[in-house]
Amino acid sequence: MDNKNTQDYILLDHTADMGFEIKGADPAELFKKAGMALIHVILGAVPSPGADKMKVSLKGYDLSDLMVRWLTEILYLFQGEYLVTTDIIIDSLSDDTVTATLIISPFNPLEHEILREIKAVTYHQIEVTGKDNIWNARVILDL
Amino acid sequence: MEIELKEIDNNRWLIPKRGQMRVPGMIFSSPQLIRGLLKDQSLAQVANVASLPGIVKHSLAMPDIHWGYGFPIGGVAAFDMEEGIVSPGGVGYDINCGCRLMTTSLTLDEIKPHIKELISALFKNIPAGVGSEGHVHLNKKDEARVAEEGAAWAIKQGFGQMDDCEKTEDYGTFKGADPSILSERAIKRGLDQLGTLGSGNHFLEVQVVDRIYNEKIARVFNLSEGRITVFIHSGSRGFGHQICDDFLKEMGREAHIKNLQLPDRQLACAPIDSDLGNRYLSAMACAANYAWANRQILMHLAFETLLSTLSIGPRDLGMKLLYDVCHNIAKIETHNLDGIDRSLCVHRKGATRSLPPGHPLLPGIFQKTGQPVLIPGDMGTFSYVLAGADGAMEQSFGSSCHGAGRLLSRSTAIKTAKGRSIHRELEDKGIFVQSRGKETLKEEMPEAYKDVSQVVDVVHETGLATKVARLRPLGAIKG
Repeated sequence: MDNKNTQDYILLDHTADMGFEIKGADPAELFKKAGMALIHVILGAVPSPGADKMKVSLKGYDLSDLMVRWLTEILYLFQGEYLVTTDIIIDSLSDDTVTATLIISPFNPLEHEILREIKAVTYHQIEVTGKDNIWNARVILDL
Repeated sequence: MEIELKEIDNNRWLIPKRGQMRVPGMIFSSPQLIRGLLKDQSLAQVANVASLPGIVKHSLAMPDIHWGYGFPIGGVAAFDMEEGIVSPGGVGYDINCGCRLMTTSLTLDEIKPHIKELISALFKNIPAGVGSEGHVHLNKKDEARVAEEGAAWAIKQGFGQMDDCEKTEDYGTFKGADPSILSERAIKRGLDQLGTLGSGNHFLEVQVVDRIYNEKIARVFNLSEGRITVFIHSGSRGFGHQICDDFLKEMGREAHIKNLQLPDRQLACAPIDSDLGNRYLSAMACAANYAWANRQILMHLAFETLLSTLSIGPRDLGMKLLYDVCHNIAKIETHNLDGIDRSLCVHRKGATRSLPPGHPLLPGIFQKTGQPVLIPGDMGTFSYVLAGADGAMEQSFGSSCHGAGRLLSRSTAIKTAKGRSIHRELEDKGIFVQSRGKETLKEEMPEAYKDVSQVVDVVHETGLATKVARLRPLGAIKG
């Protein structure tokens, strides 16, 4: 694993939990960065590239809801299926649907040292905003 | 939103009703503790909860209140059964996260020479940390039984004694559980996590009774100075997290369709008297039962580890369950409101039930003392045992605080701990800790928490519960 912080997200101070803020040139970049930020918060490192691919398609009722569902899916794959998302290709994204290809690797405790457990991705103060080529998202995690 | 705060007395502050608030907010605190709240958004969260439909009397906060997500941690809110709502965010992801305390016949002198070895053995025998799998691997049929029966299921499998049930809140079984409504993901996540501690602030601690405040009650609770106790803090693991997640998403979508304006999406909720509200309560009951079975098994694993490490028999160990309480839950309870007994849905998000002496829900052994209220502190200071008191029924829908409450964010704690060995610092104080998470000890360092003694003093002085005993940590395992 690569231990350097990719600087693609800013950790937010929250008394009980933890959050992050990300910026992107468009919603697709925002979703990709958010997914990888989540993995980085859990592992404290960028995981080595996985060899398998998985298609994911999710629906939400707006971009903020979609962001929570998207990150929840990546978290579930880690916690429920023991699959580490090592890279993300956003195939298509609209206001209410995201389709993506996840590059995944089976969780290996010898390689993937866990920094902290994330219980859930919350809706607390969830925000996905932007226009043109400046997009921001804020996500609070339950630890 | 700027929050107006009116001091009622030295331990009570009121947030007057304004804007969308349906009732005022009430904070139990102290002049020192309240200052810390002005820096974050916890008071705004008390006000947000006060805007939810059907809330009665006050949106309450216990003295360990801190900024949560949706509800504040340390929040208590009761809702009318006809007009009110139930909110998964008002319970939290870790449904029935709670505490369990066991007393023993061991003395400090007897355990001191073995404490390091004991903590290592507990660390080895009790699965902890992210994704850890337990000794109990369930099939779907047995998982459904766990979800319906709670602690009783674990006892039937040989983990503990039948009378442990009467020393567990709700006798260890939350009624109304319906496993048939659970998602495949929730079922899957529950199969391998029974008998695991979890991570973050979850722990198992070996302690010594350091001070007695109320001899009479302490005697009934089997607590005396110099005796060893074992404290467990854990919850419903991924099973509960998934159930909360599933229902938050369903309720959020429903709120969107109905165009309900919520001050925070995490406050998504459903009328108690609705199909969705009822389904959540039935699913929540499954997770509550899972958590009670989990803590029952963890207790038994600790019991076996103490016996083998100290090479003694059960009689010499004399381990007995004092009590098990949950602090993340929504329950239908009867409370007297303006002279009338009413059925209400009480949400406790980081708050402990505190029933006074004589309450009909208490078993015979606690009828004269009140319910044991278990308050863990940080790993470097103290935990407390209190007893439920009348003031809780009068002021807080039978509730008390649940811990010290965080003071520093996790990232600030890590920065504060930079260059220090928290492990060594604790060892210098005679506290031996082992943890799995790389950053756990830094995030959970003693300075990250408020002074639990101040929090407990507010509870005692306001009559929400009565101080009985103080417990000093000797060693702990953490996820």
